[in-house]
Parts: sequence; C-alpha cells; structure tokens
Amino acid sequence: MNTSATQTNAIEVSLRKIILASLAALMVSGLILTVFILPAEFNQDPLGLGEALGVKGLSEPQTIAKTVRKEDANYHQDMVSFKLLPFEFVEYKYALSEGSALLYSWTAQDAETLESSLVSFDFHGESHDVEGYEQSYSEGNDDHENGTFTAPFNGIHGWFWGNHGAATVTVTLKTTGFYTESLEFRDGFVKKEVLTNQP
Amino acid sequence: MNKGHLNCSTDKYHSLGQQLLFWSLTGLMLIPLVAAAHNISESNARFVEGLSGPAIVPYLYLGAKHMVTGYDHLLYLVGVVFFLRRLKDVVLYVSLFTLGHSITLMTGVLAGLSVNAYLVDTIIGLSVAYKAFENINGFKQVFGFQFNAKAAVLIFGLFHGLGLATKLQDLSLSSDSLVINMLSFNVGVEIGQVIALTCIVAVLGLWRRQSGFQRQAFIANTIIMTLGFLLAGYQFASYLWA
Repeated sequence: MNTSATQTNAIEVSLRKIILASLAALMVSGLILTVFILPAEFNQDPLGLGEALGVKGLSEPQTIAKTVRKEDANYHQDMVSFKLLPFEFVEYKYALSEGSALLYSWTAQDAETLESSLVSFDFHGESHDVEGYEQSYSEGNDDHENGTFTAPFNGIHGWFWGNHGAATVTVTLKTTGFYTESLEFRDGFVKKEVLTNQP
Repeated sequence: MNKGHLNCSTDKYHSLGQQLLFWSLTGLMLIPLVAAAHNISESNARFVEGLSGPAIVPYLYLGAKHMVTGYDHLLYLVGVVFFLRRLKDVVLYVSLFTLGHSITLMTGVLAGLSVNAYLVDTIIGLSVAYKAFENINGFKQVFGFQFNAKAAVLIFGLFHGLGLATKLQDLSLSSDSLVINMLSFNVGVEIGQVIALTCIVAVLGLWRRQSGFQRQAFIANTIIMTLGFLLAGYQFASYLWA
C-alpha cells in the first residue's frame, strides 16, 4: 500500500475540470474583491461597481463627521432675563433638532442687592417625536451653570427655574446655538417665538 | 489489505443519530467563521498589556482563542486533513505544521523579528489556496509534478508561525517574563488547534462516509481555494491601502 504519495490526494478528476475549477476560484474571488471588498474596505473602486452598488467607502472612518457638524443658517445668540418673585417659577426652552448644539450660561442673582442667589433648576428636554417623552440633563440648586449641549432627540430643550427664597431673583440666560423657536412657559401661558434665519 | 472497513455500505451511517451528529458538528465548525476576529481584539490587547510578569492563563487563553477564531489557520487545517483517513496521518501532518509554526513563533518573538503582518497573512491565504489546489490533484494533473506534501506543510507552518509571532509582538510583551508568556501563548495555540481539529476531523470522517463525498469534496476544495484567494487578496489590499 502506497502511503505517502496517494494519501493526500483522493480525488481523481479530469484535467479539464481542475482547470475550470481553478479559474472559477480565481474569478469568483477576484470578482468579490473588486466589486465588494476593495470599494467597501479600502475605498478602491477599479470598476466603478462599488459606487453603483452603494458599498464604496463603507468602512471609511467618520471622524470628521463626529467633530464637525454643519448646520443651515439657524445661528442665534440671545440673552434673556426673568424676574422671579418668591415661589415663582418659569420654564424657557428652545426647539433643537437631534444633534444640534447649544452653548449656554445662566446666572441667578438677587434683584435688589445683585448678589448671586440660589434657585432650583432642571435642564431637560421634551420629544417632538415621542408623545410625552422627557429627559432631564442637569438639575439641582445653584446660582449659575455653564455648558455645552447636544440635543439627543428632536424636541424642545431648556430650563425650569424656581425661586424658593424670600427675595426676588433675576435669572439671566445667554445662549448660542442652532435653535428655531423659543418658548416661555409662565403663569399657565406659553409665549412662543419663531426665530427666523439670520443671513 | 484491509480496505473493507473503508467501504462500508453507506446506509449504515445514515441513521438519524449519525445525521444529527454530522450536522451539529458542521454547525459547530461554522461558529468561528461567524466570530470574525482574526486579530487579537483591542480590549484583549489592552488587558494583557496592563499585566506585568508571568500571565500563563491569559496567554494560554489568547493563543487558543486566536487559533479557534482564526479562519485562515482553520481553513488551512481543513485543507491539510481533508483526505487524511487515518489518525496516524492526521497526527503526523499536524505535528509537522505545529513544528513549523512553533519554530517561527518562538524565534520570531525572541529575535524581535518584525515582518509586515499583511504580507504574512497574504502568504497564509495563498497557503489555503495551495492546499486546496493540491487536494483536487491540481499540481500533478496540470503541472505534472507535485511538491512533497510533508515538506509543504512544514514550510507553510513556518509562515503561519511568523504571522502568530507578529500578532503576539503587537501586544508589546513585557520583557521580564517574555519566554514564559510566549510559551503559554504557543501552548494555547496548540490547545486551540486540538479543539478545532477534533471538530474538523470528526465532521470530515462522517462526511467521507456519505454517498457523493467524492463529488462534494471536489466542490468543497474549489470553495476553499476561492476563500484562500479571497483571503490573500484581502490581506494584500490591506498591505497596499490600509
């Protein structure tokens, strides 16, 4: 019994079949490479078929999109103030679409002495798309807060401020962002202002 | 001549239990193909980099994981044992492969040998295609000659080991327990290989007894050859553009 030579080759097929199978293997792998893998993984598209199939650039790093988000001209810079008598409260919100950013800074001070004064606050958002969905971003008691905010969903996003002290307090909010509307909720009324695009 | 037991009547092996075993083992073999993880994953890398001193079990585990989830090594092994009927031959060929990759894994790491991983992986992909082409008798029929199969498995083992050495060195091994950690990785690779081979040999053994194996074996090796070319092309493209 010949153990060494025949041991690993148990198939007896014709030369023609072997050549056809080998050519098929080369062609199929070449086709998969040039049509799918090269365009999708390496952004190389020799036949232009990757682009036609929409797989070109599938694995390109999206780093630019993560740090820079381009916006249509909805750029606004605003400063608003609210006088809150003892036990009064107000809500002020901006309409922001998902992924839009807001830079904010608010302070609270005694209306008479102009010294900083604590208020209770809740920075939160309400969804436009999901009825009744609310999310709180930051809450507590403080005399100021600064930050950057990126809207996690389409909706209105803003602050509740409540004055629990004995003196009148002025809350001043400065914002920069890409909002389209501002809404003020006070004494059971809503004051809505549609902000037009600035050139 | 004890060929009798090889040509058992096929219906004997068509019992429901045999069929179930065959397909469940086939399914088991496909798991690593789904777990597409050729490189040592980043979280694993960060974990072992945080370790200092000997870490036998983590490196054992990583070695075994790399083998069991490395479809290039697995495809090559499938090709190597495809027509090996006797356990003796399986042990012989796999030992040669193990010898080959252990030599380059150890010398590669100890000498700090740094080769381009993509080029090594290209050769590993070509080794898969080579073995499948040999399995369908390509070299003998088309070119009229044949490389020594045992020498080939040893030489390709050297390349597979070079790939393993490169992957292991990516982990920036701490030099204080380099040898023990490298040996643990190597032993882990062999454990993974035994696990993978147990499944592969079992499935092939059952498949061989099914009717139509000869025709299916030809198609299967053509598919393995295609995958080998695909792997080689993918790795070479990574070398050029990644």
